[in-house]
Amino acid sequence: MALHQSRGNDPASAKLAIFEYCKKRGALAVGVADLDALQRIAPPGHRPKDLMPRVKSVISLGVGGQTQGTWQMPAKAMAYSGSTEVRAYKVAYGCSFFIEQRFGAPTIYVPPDIDPEGGPRVPFQSLKLHAEMAGIGARSLAGDILLHPEFGFMYYASVFTELELEPDAPMLENPCPAPSCVSMYRSIGRTPCMKFCPAQCLDGEIDAEGRQKVMRYDMAKCAEFTQEYEAVPKILAEAVKDEVRSNGAEGLLDPDRKMLWYKVSAGSGAWFAQCFECMRVCPVATQAPQSDPILRTSASREAARKAES
Amino acid sequence: MARGLTREQLGITDAMIETYGEAIFLMSHNRQTREGDPIRALNWTEIDRQREAMGLADGQISERLGLTHGQVMFIRNTEESRRFRIGQQAYLMDLGGGKRFRPERVVPLEQRFRYGENALALRAALRFDGVRAAEFIARGWWSDDTLTKWLARHETQRPKAVALVHAGIDISWRQLAERVASFAAGLQSAGVARGEVVAVQLPNLPEFVVAYLAILRIGAVMTTIHMPYRGAEFETLLRHSRATAIICLGQEKDWSPAAAALTLRSAVPTLRTVIVLGDTPKGALGYSALQAASAGDICDLPQPAAGDPILLLYTSGTTSAPKAVPHNSHTLLSNARLGVPEHCVGPEDRILSAAPFSHLFGLYALHTSMAAGSAMVLLPVFTPTNLAQTIDQDKPTALWTAPAHIAACRSGGLFDNIDFSSLRLAIMSGSACPPALVRWLATRLPACAVTQLWGMTESQAALYTRPDDPIEVVAVSAGRPSPGAEVRVVAANEALCAPGDEGELQVRGCLMFPGFFDNAVANAAAFAPGGWYRTGDLATIDAAGNVAITGREKDVINRGGHKFNPREVEDLLDSHPKVLQSAIVPMPDPILGEKACCFVTFRPGADEATLEELVAYLAEHNMAKIKFPERLVVVDEMPLTPTRKIIKSRLRLPD
Repeated sequence: MALHQSRGNDPASAKLAIFEYCKKRGALAVGVADLDALQRIAPPGHRPKDLMPRVKSVISLGVGGQTQGTWQMPAKAMAYSGSTEVRAYKVAYGCSFFIEQRFGAPTIYVPPDIDPEGGPRVPFQSLKLHAEMAGIGARSLAGDILLHPEFGFMYYASVFTELELEPDAPMLENPCPAPSCVSMYRSIGRTPCMKFCPAQCLDGEIDAEGRQKVMRYDMAKCAEFTQEYEAVPKILAEAVKDEVRSNGAEGLLDPDRKMLWYKVSAGSGAWFAQCFECMRVCPVATQAPQSDPILRTSASREAARKAES
Repeated sequence: MARGLTREQLGITDAMIETYGEAIFLMSHNRQTREGDPIRALNWTEIDRQREAMGLADGQISERLGLTHGQVMFIRNTEESRRFRIGQQAYLMDLGGGKRFRPERVVPLEQRFRYGENALALRAALRFDGVRAAEFIARGWWSDDTLTKWLARHETQRPKAVALVHAGIDISWRQLAERVASFAAGLQSAGVARGEVVAVQLPNLPEFVVAYLAILRIGAVMTTIHMPYRGAEFETLLRHSRATAIICLGQEKDWSPAAAALTLRSAVPTLRTVIVLGDTPKGALGYSALQAASAGDICDLPQPAAGDPILLLYTSGTTSAPKAVPHNSHTLLSNARLGVPEHCVGPEDRILSAAPFSHLFGLYALHTSMAAGSAMVLLPVFTPTNLAQTIDQDKPTALWTAPAHIAACRSGGLFDNIDFSSLRLAIMSGSACPPALVRWLATRLPACAVTQLWGMTESQAALYTRPDDPIEVVAVSAGRPSPGAEVRVVAANEALCAPGDEGELQVRGCLMFPGFFDNAVANAAAFAPGGWYRTGDLATIDAAGNVAITGREKDVINRGGHKFNPREVEDLLDSHPKVLQSAIVPMPDPILGEKACCFVTFRPGADEATLEELVAYLAEHNMAKIKFPERLVVVDEMPLTPTRKIIKSRLRLPD
């Protein structure tokens, strides 16, 4: 804070500069989450101050996901074309340097990884919560995946900084459920994401006003599709006690399992969220006004022009 | 925090996991419920109220339960791993690209098909030489052909064209495809699984064809049981093939195959299902009930592959112990497809098989008709009259037949009374063709090309003459190798015989089976180096490459060191005015080792001939004295294979 003031930047213009930086580098949406609210909602050990004790601001940004063509891909390949989280991390990483250099405030790029003291499935921080509080996404019926009315389905990254910025408010309206989903729910009792989830891990209700009433998500079921890394110890255990095959090592080298070793070697993290089926059928994710990459680019440019003027 | 602490260091016991596992699993993020949108709305009351339902972190659970953070994490992870099923992402492979999840069509992975032990054993028998297989593929002999694909192709391209003709009724390719799809669904609902063997004992009826194609559609394997087979053969074949189901008649003359099969369920451990055409006894399933199944049930069933086994056939009884011959689509359908232009058949043809489909020669006719898109004219049971009437009524253009069929029609005078003029091709196989009979047929049907074919259960059609071969070649030889087949004639020392010299016929090529199923002893003796199959048949090859089958190696008689093939003696005896059929077999002799004994049946109405009379006949025709039979046994009926070959092993010398 002291550093920031010494360089003569006011919070509003600093925020504007940070947003501009992020958008120029590919972020579709940027926001600042209310730190106090995050501290209150996140569980102990996973609050912003647990990672950065002197954090003053939590910046969340989202990058675009899929082209229209990507949504038509076979599921097995979609993760490779559809996962753009690395782009989000790249922007956040650059943003943290930008803030430090421009404003002199210690800043971190929030690791989007699991907490080694929490075991699998437990992240350091909830990037989802940051984005929701920063007003760049709202929880959907599809297992609380965040959606944006303009940009659809995005990947998020976060930056913590000691620079104090004015927080944004959460979205006023939730784009989920879309009108067509409400119609479908009225007809068959399920929304597209519920119907077409291959794990059948989604369930929920929509109220008389067409808003989310209840969202039920069986994350354990979903994880069986999206977090195959947990298969590794099971495979090893099976191979060791394999009584059918003459050689346990053969089990380790089955084509399916070889693929897992490949992933281990590649270290791509692609074992996470390989399943896109709920988003594939989501009208907000696939048909949001600026989910189209060309429109999205135009809108970004227009937003940048407005910001400059 | 766990920090790498062991279970013991954390104080975790099985009792703790059992006690708290379920609660911790549910309290964590594994199951999340959110009412309304409290976080976005910053509705603190609701956020706090719903905190547990939305999922607690380990630290929060530990406070709630009074366990340490490390204990909660360990128990949660253990419980999650215990419930976690691996390989679930495989479901995703079916999705995308226009396909979406349909819960009603999902077969849980753990319930998806897994080949049984017996199915894997049968598949393991299909072991081909890799270098040879690569050559077959490179030359286009082995392809992705399956009968399922051929049926689908005809259904798509010529849905209304005739596929089967039975009793004057035409069945189109579309109708056939629909029946096959329904019956396949029926088989599946009856519990028949991929890779399992289904035995079929049916006459050449549409139901046989439907059953065969349906069995293949679900990836199962067919084994056939010849119609005359009864209890002992039934049990042997069902047991050896490990059949899990049998499709048979309710009643066949004075015998009930269905009742026999039901009884055998206790003796044959693999046999579960008996499917009956006709009167269905209690405990069996009706063929018609399975035929009425919904065809939609097999839409998502994986298509069979060309490398899958499709047939398990037993050698036709000319050997004393039946041997199981496995085939896949590569061997059988390459042979059929490549044979179509050789036989000059096409979609306009109507093929009739006088041989039963339970024999590979009969199935070769069916395979050829499906390769060419020809109509298959069905003759359920051969009698000379039935054959002649079917030809007269259904007007086949091509006839798959055995010499005995033609001889029977000739002796019955049917060629004089019935119109055979629709035939433009007659393929004779199944036993040695008497040259005189071939010439007679060619003369009797001048517009019909008469050809000879030689094959075995192990090879389907290995040799045949072509329709444009001169009658001099057709009468005395089985022709040249089929495309993809190689033949050679070798002496006892495996040296190649000179043209015209008799030796053992050996065959190899893309049509050959890879080895007997579950019979290591037979396999060890069956193949010569280089993958040549020892046929056991004696043959000569002329300079033009035409192969003449001269007899069976095991039929050779060794009379005091002088070995001779009795075939020419039998051919001559068969031309005796009183003789209907003859078969010469060795009989033990204390001095010479073996002598020739002649079994004979006489023509109806003819007087019996004596040994002296027959020997005089042979002498008259300049047969060497050393080859004269030295004993005569008159029998009422010869034991015959389904393709009308005499089963010499069943000829017993009377005391």
